[in-house]
Amino acid sequence: MTLFFSSFRPALFCSILLIVVSASAVMPGPGGPEAGSELVIYSGRKESAIKPVVDLFERKTGAKAVLKIGKTSGLANEILQERQRPRADIFIATEAGVCEVLAREGALDPYAPAAARVIPPEYKSGRGYWTGISGRARVILYNTGLVKDGEVPSSVLALADPKWSGKMAIAGTLERTTLSWLGALVHILGEAKAKAYIAGLLRNGLKVLPDNSDVWRGVGSGEFALGLTNSPNYHLALKAGLPVGVVYPDQGPSGMGSLVNPNAVAIVKGARHLVLARRFVDFILSQEAQAILVRHAFEIPLVLGMDAGEVRPLSSFKSLKISQERLADLEERTIRLFPGF
Amino acid sequence: MRSGMAKGNMERAASGETFVFRRPTIGVLTPVAALGAAFIILLTASPLLNLFVAALAAGSRGLSGLLSASVPTLLAKTLLLATLATLWALLLGVPPAWILTRTDLPGRRLFRVLGLLPLAIPPYIGALTYITLLGPVGPVNKAYQAMGGSGQLVNIYGLWGGVLVLGLFTYPYILLLAGSALESSNPAMEEAARAAGHGPMGIFVRVTLPLLRPSLLAGSLLVFLYALSDFAAVSFLRVTTFTTEIYHQLNTRFDQQGAAALSAVLVLLTLLVLVAQRRSLGRRSFVQRRSGAKPPTVYPLGRWKVPALICTYLVLGGSVFLPIALLLYQAGSAATIFQTLASGHRYLWNSLWTAAVAATVATVLALFVAYLIDRRKGPVGLLLTAATQLGYAIPGTVLGLSLILLYNTYVPWIYGTAAMVVLGYLLRYLPQAVQGSAAALSQVDPNLEEAARGLGRSSWQALREVTIPLIRPGMTAGWMLVFISSIKELAATLLLRPAGFDTLPVRIWIATVEVDFAVAASTSLILIATTALPLFLIKRLDSGISQLD
Repeated sequence: MTLFFSSFRPALFCSILLIVVSASAVMPGPGGPEAGSELVIYSGRKESAIKPVVDLFERKTGAKAVLKIGKTSGLANEILQERQRPRADIFIATEAGVCEVLAREGALDPYAPAAARVIPPEYKSGRGYWTGISGRARVILYNTGLVKDGEVPSSVLALADPKWSGKMAIAGTLERTTLSWLGALVHILGEAKAKAYIAGLLRNGLKVLPDNSDVWRGVGSGEFALGLTNSPNYHLALKAGLPVGVVYPDQGPSGMGSLVNPNAVAIVKGARHLVLARRFVDFILSQEAQAILVRHAFEIPLVLGMDAGEVRPLSSFKSLKISQERLADLEERTIRLFPGF
Repeated sequence: MRSGMAKGNMERAASGETFVFRRPTIGVLTPVAALGAAFIILLTASPLLNLFVAALAAGSRGLSGLLSASVPTLLAKTLLLATLATLWALLLGVPPAWILTRTDLPGRRLFRVLGLLPLAIPPYIGALTYITLLGPVGPVNKAYQAMGGSGQLVNIYGLWGGVLVLGLFTYPYILLLAGSALESSNPAMEEAARAAGHGPMGIFVRVTLPLLRPSLLAGSLLVFLYALSDFAAVSFLRVTTFTTEIYHQLNTRFDQQGAAALSAVLVLLTLLVLVAQRRSLGRRSFVQRRSGAKPPTVYPLGRWKVPALICTYLVLGGSVFLPIALLLYQAGSAATIFQTLASGHRYLWNSLWTAAVAATVATVLALFVAYLIDRRKGPVGLLLTAATQLGYAIPGTVLGLSLILLYNTYVPWIYGTAAMVVLGYLLRYLPQAVQGSAAALSQVDPNLEEAARGLGRSSWQALREVTIPLIRPGMTAGWMLVFISSIKELAATLLLRPAGFDTLPVRIWIATVEVDFAVAASTSLILIATTALPLFLIKRLDSGISQLD
């Protein structure tokens, strides 16, 4: 019998098909960038915070930059996959631990900008692989309708009290700020005590949610009385008109302080526009760029002496002292210590 | 509404006999077919291969990752979610498919289009709708507490919430495939059953349902595999599944090999499901032939009209009206929507053309694949089935990362262009087009083509004049499914898009991160309207053609 695929016309059909597929495959999208003189920035920081900085950088230097906004972890995985032929010049992360991971994988290029000299050592890489650009403190957020101002515990260690049973929430380790907080607890308390403390919280009905926005919205809406989350979320909840208050915990003379997680900027190893990339790092630490970053997202300036606006500056509270290198060393142990968190 | 069926000479010539036993056609692959098959296998199997290589390279480390992730528990949880969601989707999809094609329900044409709209609503938006309504502090629980109830009346978080939402926003897969099968099925068989003294129920159970089996299986498979690979909706609803665990591996440990190992398990699971589907279809023949110009029998509903209407409105209410009403409320005003559209028309265009290109390429490839699978039993068909179907089970993030490595290394001139986005869509959703075409093709008797050739048509003409018109509803359905899924795609797009190239879902995601609900809702509404447009156009086109018949 004659078969469909044996005649000439299907051959033509298939060739056209192949041409169509390959043609559509290389068709550049409108607005899609061509590899050229543009600085390529992968940013886990949100667009409203970083885009004004990039726009200003373009105006000031005359250089062109393209921005890819994504999840910090997704972009970091992408940089790892692209190692053979790097596409990004700059990586902006919402958490410095990710930069530590990339640095250990050899995916970053060291650079120590002059402006970083006034940044405390916890908020920059000792080997220059990344530099903190702003910070977020771990705080206790509370619903003012459910908890009176004086009742809020001043230490996270007091949260195991049955009084808070079933009323607390935290984001799981899918949020890396939670992971570094757990790592810091292991560092300060030791493995056994940290494990017992967290087990106590879980027995006390601590609800582990997928991400931090669940936590602050949950506290704001009254689903939870207390939430362990990051300081900008307090301001975000206020802006959304929610009845919330905030406590920077463990501030007493013997208290461990509140952990500050830095947002960080790093240069990708093999960056095609290295000179421009370094200029961008310098620029993002400048007064004007910092002002935009801090004002937009209620974050804590890490460059000492910078105006913090309505946010509590680093100098106004006791921060927990731990280096990101130490946190990275503790990471695997921390993950194992708190399975399913 | 009957879809347009071009009735060629061949069909009329053959209209006398209705039941023909199907002979499997076994042939040797011609070079062109082999080349095409090889190309498609290379295109679709390379990321899979990459995945397995990565999983194997992980070795003991990957194994420990698998162990620490407690695979059996995850597997059980994920399978339970997918099975329940599929059953729920069948329950939501099959009755409307029959009511809207075979009864005189008033407004059934409109309902058929509206019934597909949930596909235009990304499940993550559906999840957010139900969290807003049924969440711990949503209006339902608040009202319950106000009436003196303690605790929560409903808990949207967890397995049942996941089942509810996934079923509500995937049942149109079943409605669409079962609907087009019901439209193009042969009324003669049902008439024979009626002549034998069966009532409508008996006919449905004994004749219609068995004939629907390929479409129902195809639809269920799409729902089931969707539930396996969904990430956004289940993570919002706080359900732990394979994909959330894979995300965990990537997000906290940056363990790409561990993620690959877990994904490989998911791929193997999909393979099992596909083999089961083939087995279940394999021994039977579903060939039917349309005879003459007779449309399918339409049953008068009589006193069942009101209950049928209520049921239809309930399903549509939960899956269309409710989410859209909430989005309209969140968007605030029409001005916000127009403003979002004016400032973001470029994202709309990006979404439109990438999804349309992906859908078109997928439909062409799917016709080729479905034809090879259907007409040539043997290893090539099997290999093609596996290669084109398995991509559906890989979570978008893992597929995206896999494609980045492959294309950045071997074809860097493609990487960094929007073609990567199209490729991501294509690999994720090609199975939908293949399922659509394969299900339709399995109802077409190959002897029809032979008859055409016997009457002097070339095989290309036979395909064009006989087979394609017969499976056109299936192909159209396939095109729509791929278009709709692609235009909603987020996980792979986030990774694969070139810097500066955003699509509507990416903008929704960015607005959500910014806590800008008005823009997120406006963009969602634009996305839904854009997706709904081709649904309406295609339905109009179909009715236009059927009037010409």
